[in-house]
Amino acid sequence: MSEAPPGYAQAELLDPFEVHIGPVFERCDDGGRRFLLIADERHVNMRGVVHGGLLMTLADLAIGQAVWDATGHATVVTVGMQSQFLKPAHVGDRIEVTPQIVRRTKSLVFARGDFMVEGEVIYTATSLWKVLANR
Amino acid sequence: MDQAGGILDGAEGISVGGFNRFIGPLYRLPDEPDGRTHFAFKVLDKHMNFLGTVHGGMLMAFLDISMSRTSRLASGAKSCSTISLDCEFLAAARLGDVVESRIRVARKTKTMAFMTGEISVGADLLVTAQGIWRLVF
Repeated sequence: MSEAPPGYAQAELLDPFEVHIGPVFERCDDGGRRFLLIADERHVNMRGVVHGGLLMTLADLAIGQAVWDATGHATVVTVGMQSQFLKPAHVGDRIEVTPQIVRRTKSLVFARGDFMVEGEVIYTATSLWKVLANR
Repeated sequence: MDQAGGILDGAEGISVGGFNRFIGPLYRLPDEPDGRTHFAFKVLDKHMNFLGTVHGGMLMAFLDISMSRTSRLASGAKSCSTISLDCEFLAAARLGDVVESRIRVARKTKTMAFMTGEISVGADLLVTAQGIWRLVF
């Protein structure tokens, strides 16, 4: 389960809640870092469908990493996040995303991500981040 | 009865399986007098981020579970799925806090429920949210 698939490395997760839901894998993509989570039994509800809470946590994690990259590793916090759930995902699905930075100002970052399973978008998230301080 | 680590009287455990149990324990409390449903959890180490506050993903997952359950309670639907959920983060929660959610059903149709919700710790408002659920009977 924690073995990285070919071409991917295990992403370094600092937040205990992210470690709890992980592992998450990453690789370099044309558009930035690409993140991958392989859904397992821990991530689904009683009907065997990947929980919305897991997808939103993955979004906060992946988009947060992209924002962190874009700000030169500033301390950032989520101010708002909008989620749309397009299609259910199941155990064994490879959920992938390459988050995009839409706009960056001195104190705010606008970002988004389309989460794909086998080439289809299953979930989209748009989030707004506040830059607290540069390290 | 399990007092949810001292959460509140009348707390009913709702983390019986799946992802809910994995991130729990979560509890349902008696409805508010104004009809809003009421849920709570106590912040544990696993819920945190490295800044020392509760992870946004945990708060959104808690809202998702609170609102899903509310849509089923309000409609009698057998199951439901989240279509959209929008959250604004106003303030942070910390280790040991008792985090509460309160959910209002704004409108219910044959196949959808529109809800608003908020998360708070004591008198402090932490998250406001709006969401749409699809109902399956």
